[in-house]
Amino acid sequence: MVEIKKQADDTTKHVTIDVGDGVAIPSKKDRGLFTAWRVAFFGAIAIIAGLVISSPDPYWDILKFVPDGILVTFQVTVESILLALLIGLFTGLGRISKNPLINGIASLYVEVIRGIPLLVQLFYLYFALGRIVNMPPMTSAILAMSICYGAYMGEIFRAGIQSIPDGQMEAARSLGMSSSQAMFHVILPQAFKTILPPVGNEFVALLKDSSLVSILAVSDLLRRGREFAAESFDYFETYTMVALIYLLITLFLSKLISIMEDRIGIENE
Amino acid sequence: MKKFKILGIILLALFVVMVASSCDKQKDQKKEATAEQGVRTIIVATDATWPPMEMVNKNKEIVGFDIDYLTAVAKEAGIKVEFKNTAWDGIFGGLSIDKYDAVISSVTITKKRQKNFDFSEPYIKAGQVLIVPTDMKNIFSLADMKGKKIGAQMGTTGALEIKEVPGIKLKSYDEIGLAFEDMAVGRIQGVVCDTPVAADYALQKEEYKSKFKIVGKPFTDEVYGIVFKKGNKELIDIINKGIAAVKEKDIDKKLEDKWLR
Repeated sequence: MVEIKKQADDTTKHVTIDVGDGVAIPSKKDRGLFTAWRVAFFGAIAIIAGLVISSPDPYWDILKFVPDGILVTFQVTVESILLALLIGLFTGLGRISKNPLINGIASLYVEVIRGIPLLVQLFYLYFALGRIVNMPPMTSAILAMSICYGAYMGEIFRAGIQSIPDGQMEAARSLGMSSSQAMFHVILPQAFKTILPPVGNEFVALLKDSSLVSILAVSDLLRRGREFAAESFDYFETYTMVALIYLLITLFLSKLISIMEDRIGIENE
Repeated sequence: MKKFKILGIILLALFVVMVASSCDKQKDQKKEATAEQGVRTIIVATDATWPPMEMVNKNKEIVGFDIDYLTAVAKEAGIKVEFKNTAWDGIFGGLSIDKYDAVISSVTITKKRQKNFDFSEPYIKAGQVLIVPTDMKNIFSLADMKGKKIGAQMGTTGALEIKEVPGIKLKSYDEIGLAFEDMAVGRIQGVVCDTPVAADYALQKEEYKSKFKIVGKPFTDEVYGIVFKKGNKELIDIINKGIAAVKEKDIDKKLEDKWLR
């Protein structure tokens, strides 16, 4: 997933290795990627428009069929990421905690969840635990996604917090802050800058993984596409449209994240 | 040192590719060998999640009425069949791009499907039927289910029938078994599927038979056919001859007794 390293000595340049599942976040400094983003984004729009205009049957029918699926995809993604951020924050804090019990629980959670495929977790929460706790599909989907991504987020938070030099904590404590005050007022605001790019990446990756919830009969974008294709037999046309729509959404989101990064002034040396 | 490492990796990669391609060759040779012996083998896709018509048994074999039936037909027609387990919502897509020669998977012959594919002669009758939890009262037909959620397998005639009735919310599943499980825990209030499958889940399966009941009689008249790519007349003729022979010898009656009674 994501690993962030920062040399403790700030005179050497810090190293950021960022290999995630999301699409790369376009930055103006990376010319090639910036151009690729524009080509892909406007290319996708042009292809969708071209297909819909040149052969409205079936492309226009597909486009009319899937919008509620796009909304569901967004709902799953946004609600999961918010919950995952919360879980991730506490997991990250737990992972650096000196209390062996808290540290142990947080580490165990990360190990167990990262070792189970998301698809299996979805099945488990919905069908296996369904006999005990009867949750609606949407709730199970969001819960499974946020529990899974919470573990990844926890590691990001941990790495982000550890990237802040120890001196910061020591200075804050010597000013009379309690350690939790120091964490929330000094360390986390600084760590936020480091963790924003990987969190953005996770956001885009989560959106793509949300297509897995279609297995729980949640009517997301992929499921709407599959339903359309299964009845019309227009497999090529349907999945072309579904792929293009996913591409548009992820590219749009990655752009939003890059703008956000620019706003809060993350230098990408 | 580094150069040697890279060289080593390249050699390893080449080796892997070679092994993989030689495996392919062996497969090709096998295919040719069967062709030489004069017995033609056709590959037939089935979605083995539709008991008792097609399912996977404990030995991981694909079994069921359709499987036995087509094997008998092929025997009469002098060819061999190899079955391939395939997910339902892509089963017709695979057929149109020649991943297999035919589909036998309790496929109802409908006008829309006939527009895109060719069918064999019909080989068995079936219909759609509604299954509800046993404690549900005053339900006599699909129309009584207004405002309720009903499940079906994606892209089946059952799903199409539910869509026809206004006011019912359709939930489409990847497999019919998942729909029954969802009804068992109370997330949906009904399931629509083919009569043989309904009988299997509502009357046979230990964990479900006390929980579910079948509502009334089937509300559609359907016939199943074996599906082929449009224009594959040669193979359809072979299979139709086999179907005729199976009917004549009453093999189909025996298979119905074995699987559906």
